[in-house]
Amino acid sequence: MAPALRRAAIVGGNRIPFARSGKRYAQASTQDMLTAAIDGLVARYGLQGERVGEVAAGAVLKHSRDLNLTREAVLSTALAPTTPAYDVQQACGTGLEAAVLVANKIALGQVDSAIAGGTDSASDAPIAVDEGLRRVLLDLGHARTPQQKLKAISRLRPGNLVPAPPRNSEPRTGLSMGEHMAITAAERRIPRQAQDELALASHRNLTAAYDRGFFDDLVTPYLGLKRDDNLRPDSTLEKLSSLQPVFGRSGRAADLAEPTMTAGNSTPLTDGAAVVLLASDEWAEQRRLPVLAHLVDAETAAVDYVHGGDGLLMAGAHAVPRLLERNGLTLQDFDLYEIHEAFAATVLAVLDVWNDEEYCRERLGLPAALGTIDRSKLNVAGSSLATGHPFAATGARILASTAKLLSERGGGRALISICAAGGQGVTAIVEA
Amino acid sequence: MSTVAPFVRVLDAPPVLARLYPRAVTSRPDPSADPTRTALEQRGVRVDADRLAAYDRVCGFPLRDDLPPTFPHILGFGAQMALMVTEPFPFRLVGLVHVRQRIEQSRPLRLGEELTVRASAAPVRSHRSGAVVDLVAEVGTGDGEPVWRGVSTYLARGASAPAGAVADDAVDLPMPDAGQPALWRVPADTGRRYAGVSGDVNPIHLSTASARLLGFKRAIAHGMWTAARSLATLDARLPQALTVDVQFAKPLLLGSTVQHVAARDGDGWRTAVRGRGGIPHVVTRVLPG
Repeated sequence: MAPALRRAAIVGGNRIPFARSGKRYAQASTQDMLTAAIDGLVARYGLQGERVGEVAAGAVLKHSRDLNLTREAVLSTALAPTTPAYDVQQACGTGLEAAVLVANKIALGQVDSAIAGGTDSASDAPIAVDEGLRRVLLDLGHARTPQQKLKAISRLRPGNLVPAPPRNSEPRTGLSMGEHMAITAAERRIPRQAQDELALASHRNLTAAYDRGFFDDLVTPYLGLKRDDNLRPDSTLEKLSSLQPVFGRSGRAADLAEPTMTAGNSTPLTDGAAVVLLASDEWAEQRRLPVLAHLVDAETAAVDYVHGGDGLLMAGAHAVPRLLERNGLTLQDFDLYEIHEAFAATVLAVLDVWNDEEYCRERLGLPAALGTIDRSKLNVAGSSLATGHPFAATGARILASTAKLLSERGGGRALISICAAGGQGVTAIVEA
Repeated sequence: MSTVAPFVRVLDAPPVLARLYPRAVTSRPDPSADPTRTALEQRGVRVDADRLAAYDRVCGFPLRDDLPPTFPHILGFGAQMALMVTEPFPFRLVGLVHVRQRIEQSRPLRLGEELTVRASAAPVRSHRSGAVVDLVAEVGTGDGEPVWRGVSTYLARGASAPAGAVADDAVDLPMPDAGQPALWRVPADTGRRYAGVSGDVNPIHLSTASARLLGFKRAIAHGMWTAARSLATLDARLPQALTVDVQFAKPLLLGSTVQHVAARDGDGWRTAVRGRGGIPHVVTRVLPG
């Protein structure tokens, strides 16, 4: 007989400060960073030597040798070596999707405690051999006779020796994520100034959150870094508006009349790791660990960005109405909104379509527009524009911060939406 | 036995081993020298993340802010060598064999701490195969008590200790009660890689050709690499405050496949790296505190 469902509690989280790629964590691997993030969590919640139900985490930029990345990291931590682990990979949705997976197991009673998260390094990115060379090497391995071996080698060309670095472009469109977003931003007519204002708010909110000690129990310093080094506490609208657009410039794939997306209102390549501790209420109570909030429900959507005319990063806009309907809520029934700032334009485009009667009817199949939100409830402790965005780590960063924000205000409900490559979006409801 | 505090010479720069080794070949030992007379000290030593990351990668530790317990050895090694080469010393450096290492740490040292490193020597002891001398490295922060202390015991085969010297009473470390051993394929370039991070460019570790000149069939692993690689397998299970004893037995030829065993022993651990027929290369014992 299936056990009664129970809501998964969010007990806390931990991350290392995020670092712009090629800088402070240039020598750290994804496994090093995930190990550091978990070890900080273990220290904070007294889990040394404990067997946690499971650990689910992943990386977007992943070396082929890291097939068991999370398990290998767990074996390097102070957790009991009997703690099982598996890797999850759903682009930038990895961290939140991992949390949803373990929360569901907790809800079903299959595990009582779990750690979810992610890690990414743009500094220590995998570099593959050229596809032609790879084919030759594989055929060489299969060759039996000297003739077959010679035939395989004869296909080698000098160009094959150039390595293939990882690409930040969608395989089916050849466009980078920024170019995709620039097209959507132009379609939705998202003004440059609104994007810069959102970026500024992110830096200001994150600075204020650090200054009031909000991250004292959410962040563990790593390699001497104590705060995210992308944070610009002294940034101004003037500085942000002086930057040149980098996506949608003429001559590029998305050749726009008025490109708006700059390095200031787009997330930089970042290194880092984040994890979140989830458990049943009973497990937390036994250890006298306060519960910050509960993960109530989640919905992942995907859009047809290849042929369907949807923006690559707009799937969150599609997931949320389904999540709202299932939970009998309206868009306005939330005290906090956490919309991942892949680009400032992503957040603004999602808010824009939710308030667009036509889009809501035709694209989302709704009877009317979802409406607007109170912008003072959006990303109140800063988000990815200021923090940086180590792809797989972002979900756990947002989930832990959201749970703590709700707990701080003595209760409430929060909506989380994270866009991901491949036209996907992971969303969740958190309540305290 | 020396009871006088040694004269402390402060080094302006870290000793360069690539220069000390050639000098060690030509320098003449002074059999009457008292190695305890002088200590060498380096102040304001800082470990940066690049150096630590390179060490961790070669030895198998994850990159943390805590320095692995074997790491401070490479901070003191240069000064230890300098003590044996540039100061009056009773034995020739060439031919000395690192037979044991003890590590005591009250807490892990951390990345970015400003460190003081001091190298000194203990009185020579007699040994059934010659004489032994302990080279001591102490690493601390500022002027306080050292946080980390390493004692490297070197055997001078066939040498004689001064009259009245104490006898070396060390006994062999027992092998761990081992279960299934892990297999290590030790890459042939391990010696060059460890030399790169430790500065220990002793030719016996670098290549077959250079090792042959000194009577080895192939290049051999740095003993402290083997010990570090062994302790790295315990990793997060290593106590914060600890005492490690390492015994270096048969040299480990690079490029070979060896077995690694580790087993709990009370509150601590025992590990061993052993070759064909179970002959030990390195045996360690880890105790908390």
